[in-house]
Amino acid sequence: MFSRSSAASRAFCRLVLFALIPFVWGCGSSSSDESGADGAAALEIAVVPKGTTHEFWKAIHAGAEKAAAEFDVDVIWQGPQKEDDRQLQIQVLQNLISRGVDAIVVAPLDARSMARPVEAAVARGIPVVVIDSGLESDAQSSFIASNNYEGGRIGGQYLAEQLGGAGKVVLLRYQEGSASTTNRERGFLDALGEYAPDAELLVDNMYAGATMALALQVSQNILNRFPEIDAIFTPNESATQGMLRALETAGRAGDVTLVGFDVNPILLDAMWDGTLHGLVVQDPVGMGYEGVKAAVSILRGGAVPERMDTRTILVTPDNIEDAEIQELLYPDFDRWLDN
Amino acid sequence: MSSSVLSLEGIRKSFGPVHALQGVDLHVRAGEVHALVGENGAGKSTLMKILSGVYRPDAGKMTLYGAPYAPANPLDGRAAGVSMIYQELVLAPHLTVEENVTLGDEHARYGWIRPRTREVERILGDLGQQGVAPDARVSDLSIGKQQLVEIARALLFDARIVVMDEPTSSLAADDTQALFEAIGRMREQGLAVIYISHFLEEVQEVCDRYTVLRDGKMISTGRVMGTPVSRIIEDMVGRSVDELFPSGDHALGDPLLDVSGLQGRRGVPANVCFTLRRGEIMGIAGLVGAGRSETVRTLFGLDSARSGALSIRGREALRVAWMTPRAALDHGLDLLSENRKEEGLALNLSLVFNLTLSDLRRYSRAGFLQLGKERRDGARWVDALRIRAGSVEQRADELSGGNQQKVCLARLLQQDNDILFLDEPTRGIDIGSKAEIYKLVHRLAQQGKAIVMISSYLPELLGVCDTLGVMHKGRLSAVRPVPEWTEHRIMQFATSGYDA
Amino acid sequence: MKKPRNYKAMLSEIGPLLGLIFVFALFAALTPSAFTSFYNVKTILTQSVIIGIAAFGTTFIIVSEGIDLSVGSQIALTTVIVAAVLNLPGGDPGIFWPLLALAAGVLACTGVGAFNGFVITKFRIVPFIVTLGSMQIVRGIAKWIGKEQTVPTPDNWLTNLMLIDPSPSWLLFGPGVWLALALLVVSAALLKYTVLGRYTFAIGSNEQTARLCGVKVDRMKIVIYGLGGLLTGVAGVMQYSYLTVGDPTTAVGLELDIIAAVVIGGGSLSGGEGSVVGSIVGALIMAVLRNGSNMLGLPNYVQEIIIGAIIVGAVLIDQQKHRLRTAG
Repeated sequence: MFSRSSAASRAFCRLVLFALIPFVWGCGSSSSDESGADGAAALEIAVVPKGTTHEFWKAIHAGAEKAAAEFDVDVIWQGPQKEDDRQLQIQVLQNLISRGVDAIVVAPLDARSMARPVEAAVARGIPVVVIDSGLESDAQSSFIASNNYEGGRIGGQYLAEQLGGAGKVVLLRYQEGSASTTNRERGFLDALGEYAPDAELLVDNMYAGATMALALQVSQNILNRFPEIDAIFTPNESATQGMLRALETAGRAGDVTLVGFDVNPILLDAMWDGTLHGLVVQDPVGMGYEGVKAAVSILRGGAVPERMDTRTILVTPDNIEDAEIQELLYPDFDRWLDN
Repeated sequence: MSSSVLSLEGIRKSFGPVHALQGVDLHVRAGEVHALVGENGAGKSTLMKILSGVYRPDAGKMTLYGAPYAPANPLDGRAAGVSMIYQELVLAPHLTVEENVTLGDEHARYGWIRPRTREVERILGDLGQQGVAPDARVSDLSIGKQQLVEIARALLFDARIVVMDEPTSSLAADDTQALFEAIGRMREQGLAVIYISHFLEEVQEVCDRYTVLRDGKMISTGRVMGTPVSRIIEDMVGRSVDELFPSGDHALGDPLLDVSGLQGRRGVPANVCFTLRRGEIMGIAGLVGAGRSETVRTLFGLDSARSGALSIRGREALRVAWMTPRAALDHGLDLLSENRKEEGLALNLSLVFNLTLSDLRRYSRAGFLQLGKERRDGARWVDALRIRAGSVEQRADELSGGNQQKVCLARLLQQDNDILFLDEPTRGIDIGSKAEIYKLVHRLAQQGKAIVMISSYLPELLGVCDTLGVMHKGRLSAVRPVPEWTEHRIMQFATSGYDA
Repeated sequence: MKKPRNYKAMLSEIGPLLGLIFVFALFAALTPSAFTSFYNVKTILTQSVIIGIAAFGTTFIIVSEGIDLSVGSQIALTTVIVAAVLNLPGGDPGIFWPLLALAAGVLACTGVGAFNGFVITKFRIVPFIVTLGSMQIVRGIAKWIGKEQTVPTPDNWLTNLMLIDPSPSWLLFGPGVWLALALLVVSAALLKYTVLGRYTFAIGSNEQTARLCGVKVDRMKIVIYGLGGLLTGVAGVMQYSYLTVGDPTTAVGLELDIIAAVVIGGGSLSGGEGSVVGSIVGALIMAVLRNGSNMLGLPNYVQEIIIGAIIVGAVLIDQQKHRLRTAG
């Protein structure tokens, strides 16, 4: 099967070796630095985000590192790249369990799929703190998240006020199976019904999908289908950005009231420009910080609450310059992250 | 020989044990069309490949315009003014005429191609082809026009000697005339054309002089005008049938295979009928492309048939159109492919896999292979046919041509069917292996099998077969006992379809 | 003459295995002892199950000089079908319904595979194009059945197949690992010791020869693609077990990992070469790389670069093999 290819396989092995060397080198040296500084082996706490491409996760990472510095532990930051790669997140969790980390802080991509690996971790004596999105399991020690329902309500109320109680509204959902965004959507719909009972809901069954590119396509299709829309709510960062871009390409940015969820620099610019009218903002730095903090206190024998809410705050062009909001919007990443 | 623009003297070339060329001379003058004729295997192709730089001669010298000429590769040859027009066209079908003609010599500035339409038009005009538009897509042209495009390409590269290998073998009559006109114009411009063809009537029509090759030697050369065709044919085939061929009688028995009205999808074969008896070795002669292989392939279900029936052992007739190779094998037919490497063998599989592939039913039980039995039988055939191989596990592509052919034959022997179609069974193998194969064929006939043997090498057909038919453009002549044929008569039917 | 060739052939046959040992040893030397722990070995084996089982089927297809790009989509389809059947009214998570769901998923993929084979042979379209098309079609059907969402399912025994720690602990490995092992033995035997396997090699090595020798090439190809689909379906059930939900967007691009596993394991894209054992070794090499990279804490992109290099390396080997052959 591999006949006469020993030369080729040797060449191949060499290739693999060369491919590995730089990474192994970099990794090996950095880990030895860390352990050398401490002397004693520090606690290893793995933080597994849903993805690594959104600004939101960067903030979680910053919060986690902040806690790591404060409590003198090591944070391992690993996760799937795309926010729909359930399989990869399971594998990452399995490998972390196998590696024998001391605790895991995870933002589950799927409330059901991640239950098994989390239970496996707990069974092997690794405590798990769930952040951001819920998990259909009772194995985890603590669940720390924004009150997403409340966040959705804040957004819904603000949107209703902007509409003046009536108008044509679009809800672009994020993805099925994501508990956090489903709660936001529910909160939004409840508040809308309460504060703007006469509003007409044009769409509430479309899903933006995991990436901004997908969200953009779906948004363009919605905008093409409904020439008259007064207001739109989008329940996460990629959906908001996709919708914003779609409004821009359709030349309708600013004409339609857009209220989004989560934040990144592009969305903030849009708010300065007046094309984005409201953002419900979480406190991801706080969430990352609290997650690691909870993990540390479990490991050090302390008690943690089963459920903990982190803040959700409405940012509008009116309050964006407030100091408190500014600190939330522009966390000092450089202080905590290398890149 | 001052008038020669190209002289080849004492050219020798061997491929292993095969002496393809044994001291060939060829002299071509400016402004002449020189026919190079000879049977398949006479060494024409080898000679032309040496001329164009594909091969290098083992010995001998070549001079071009008085200067020594030793091309290292075909590009070298082309640069020196020697261009080849091959049987299979080498054009890019999606490009236009102009793009094809200038391919490899585009005039460009900063990467932008500057058109050479004028030049291309002029060359096509010189060939009498004003009708061909430089911007036509090559795939839209007839085969004949495509060939002229290829000649135009040769002329653009300032060819002084143009070699054409069987240029009319796939042309319709109109296109042939256009080609002859183009050749005539090239002659007027002082180019030398070497024209390789089987069709002697064409040679008479367009050529000035001829050279006959046989068995890698130059037999005769002279002016076409004034030389009778029969003389050229004699030079091509005239050789004694030596003791290569086995003697000893085998009786012809009852009819085994009866073929009637065999008609191929593309008109080849055309209404072929014959009867094959037990113990009979029937030869089919004819030129390349006459439909010999197509006849047996159609019968075997490899090529699709339009109509025709065959009856085996006098039983009811089967429709050839429904035949598949599996059915043919099950009905007692078997076929040795003329194309060993592309069809006959699965080259990266082992010898024994190739040997048993058509008969795995014998080597399996409930779908599971009996590898031990398979290997034992394989080893037996390796011994019986004296196949030179390390083991039965050796891969087919590691064997020599003769041994590969023996593996193909061993598969047929192993299958042990009664009606065997052997398509060019001795092509490309050395004399020793050839003799072994002749003996084997004879022995099979003595066992009462019926054999159809196709060959382009007339002496072997005459030496081995009991009966012989000749094909011309899809038609099969009457099948007659070999003694009733003369080589002259065979060549006549093969080239003209006229049976005297 | 004979001896050195056999020695060489043997050495090269175990080439992929040497590669696996090399990669494993490399990570064992670089990572904490956790890498070589029994638990981690179990983890790696479990993570190779899906790609491994699918690679068994793809091995047949590649040996016959075909390719199937729709494998990833087929796996997604299976997870959705399994979930849909489990959610049927009247369904209950006993023994029977999960079995029915499993059968439905596997059958669907077998059908997709056979359909691919049918289109390839009937209309003489190259496998690459046919399966490129069915990759999209099948993905679309999966999304359609799943209504573009993940399909949650009630707890049932299927979801226990891919546990790293099996529930009766004397099993040592999860049932999925044992199933993969069983299928490995069956597939390897099929390819090596049956007429089906021999014909697969013959078609891949030289389709014309196979035809000449009376092999019903078209029918065989449909069988081969169907078999590929069947094994892909089993892999899909494992994927469902892994995710515990039906996910129409799962396994995007997984076919490329699977093809890579086959090629790394000695399969030749020009047909006639490949082995089931080699393919599982290829799958293990990739799983070890992923696991080891996680252990070392290397980011995703590093894994991608390494695995990409391995794929190119494998193709390099494939080419070099052929160059050596034509030269010799």
